[in-house]
Amino acid sequence: MEYFLNQLVNGLCQGAIYALMAIGYSVIVGVVGMVTFTYGEIMMIGAFGAYYVFQFIGINLPVALLAAFASSFLLGIIVYKLCYERFFNAPRHISLLCTIGFSMLIKNLVQIVFGPETKPVLNIIDNRTFTIPLGSAISIDLKLLQIVVMILVVVLAVTLTLFFNRTKSGIALRAVSQNKDAAYLMGINVKRTAMLGNCIGCGFGGVAGILLAIYYYSISTTTWGGFSMKAFSASVLGGLVDLRMSALGGLCIGIVENLGITISSATFRDVFAFGFLIIMLVLRPQGFASKKGSRV
Amino acid sequence: MSKVKELFNKYQALAYVVLLALLCAVPFILPKAVYVRYACNILMYATLAGSLNIINGYSGQTCLGQAGFFAIGAYTMAALSTKFGISFWLLLPFAGILAAFVGFLVSLPTLKLKGIYLSIVTLGASEIIRIIAQTWTPVTGGAMGIKQIPYPELFGLDTFRPKYYYFIFLVIGVVFLFVTKRVLNSRVGRSWIAIREDEIAAKSLGVQTSFYKSLNFMYGAFWAGVVGCAYAPFVNYIEASQFSTDTGFNVLAMIVIGGQGTLIGPIVGSTIVTLLTETLRFLESWRYVIYAVLIIAMMWLRPQGIAGASRSILAGGKIKRKKQAEGAEGSATNG
Repeated sequence: MEYFLNQLVNGLCQGAIYALMAIGYSVIVGVVGMVTFTYGEIMMIGAFGAYYVFQFIGINLPVALLAAFASSFLLGIIVYKLCYERFFNAPRHISLLCTIGFSMLIKNLVQIVFGPETKPVLNIIDNRTFTIPLGSAISIDLKLLQIVVMILVVVLAVTLTLFFNRTKSGIALRAVSQNKDAAYLMGINVKRTAMLGNCIGCGFGGVAGILLAIYYYSISTTTWGGFSMKAFSASVLGGLVDLRMSALGGLCIGIVENLGITISSATFRDVFAFGFLIIMLVLRPQGFASKKGSRV
Repeated sequence: MSKVKELFNKYQALAYVVLLALLCAVPFILPKAVYVRYACNILMYATLAGSLNIINGYSGQTCLGQAGFFAIGAYTMAALSTKFGISFWLLLPFAGILAAFVGFLVSLPTLKLKGIYLSIVTLGASEIIRIIAQTWTPVTGGAMGIKQIPYPELFGLDTFRPKYYYFIFLVIGVVFLFVTKRVLNSRVGRSWIAIREDEIAAKSLGVQTSFYKSLNFMYGAFWAGVVGCAYAPFVNYIEASQFSTDTGFNVLAMIVIGGQGTLIGPIVGSTIVTLLTETLRFLESWRYVIYAVLIIAMMWLRPQGIAGASRSILAGGKIKRKKQAEGAEGSATNG
């Protein structure tokens, strides 16, 4: 029981990171209107941006998070120019393949430039553990790392919601995600706004990337494809463009994964994630969202 | 150009015979065994890409998980032949049927889904197959993989030499092309194309779209399984990482570079991609960079692929945009 509860906490924390990834992914899909397979590499670049902050400036979490956001944000501009801008009216598989090609490009360039070995990310957050007693025999171990990650995710999600609801550019983003033509007629610069949306989504991906790196104590150059698919799955679970539901999807995938590996071995982690996704899609093709095609 | 076509039509049978004879002579002409290996790879990937082309190019579904079906075929051959010594030629159709069955299972959830949802299901299914292959140690050898897969018998030839193994791939490729051409010209193939062009219109004309979509998946998966079965003894050692999603994307890149929705496209794509990645081996990681740039450049310059027709629905791109731009201008002046 105690093990089970602890795994639930682990799942919640991992799910929080997945939720952040899914939010970024949903912003991209919602605003641009096309899916991306470059997301894993965008997270990697964010993680690398933060890693070099740790290397050269020292352990300073806020600066590192900013660096992660900024580096992924800038990469987002290139992705947008290369993979989306020309292909708004083309069949979808064209931009999809462009993003696959771009992800190969970034992955291999990073391996050439930064070296293919896995880089350690240690001692960013104190390795302190709080034990919370629940009743007589049961207690939960909560790491400081997990608390920080969860708080960060919540803060970022709230900030993004405020941005979407309270600022002019946020409202423009929502307009573009609902209907590009109508937004164009209202005088919104659709291409520029789509680019901004793509970059913000990428930036969130970058932050999620460094959080994952801190969570796993390392940055590898090869495992990001899997995380990208988790983000994709979580956002599909949430109906692809609904931010809140995507976050819920991310949480669910994190929890299902971590509970799944308590009853089997850790190698089946991804089987549970994708199995859950496929079963959900069979039962409810529109995801958690209440109606088909609901928007950001 | 039209004259060439006319001549070709006149002597079609002769042309095919000459082409086949040339293809048969390839392993004896090529000076080094390495080059014959490249030729084998080209033939194998041409058939594998062709099987994906059935799904992506002809019925317009975006399947990203061909590596999974490929893996099923390869592991069927590897496991059954090393454990029970079953002959390659028996396992060849069996691997295909098994892959087709898995294709049927994958197609079930996808019938209700469209576009990108379908893609993620196929991708997820392919990953699940790979992870099972990696962990189901008693059957698949787990992370160790399966070694020393017996070579098939072929009229007493030493099939462990690529020179003779080439003919196995050639036969599979030719049979695949022949059967597929017949299928595509039949009621079934026409239904697939109708679904690709407009699913709702096809449905209203009485095409049972779910049945044909499912059949399409099974047919594509069948050939991927057959190719996988032939692949296992060729490399003689298989393990799960050979069937990662990157393999699937690789095959997808082949059909897109070559041209979706044409029979010749996957062959062209497989030739270009295989030659590129094999001959540039000395560049190490840079060859993937070049490959990636090629994919992006292809999408920018010729989205329908090298062999694809520019008017194809899969090309979209320029023509459509031009029309829309004209339409937008027209309505602007009217308003």
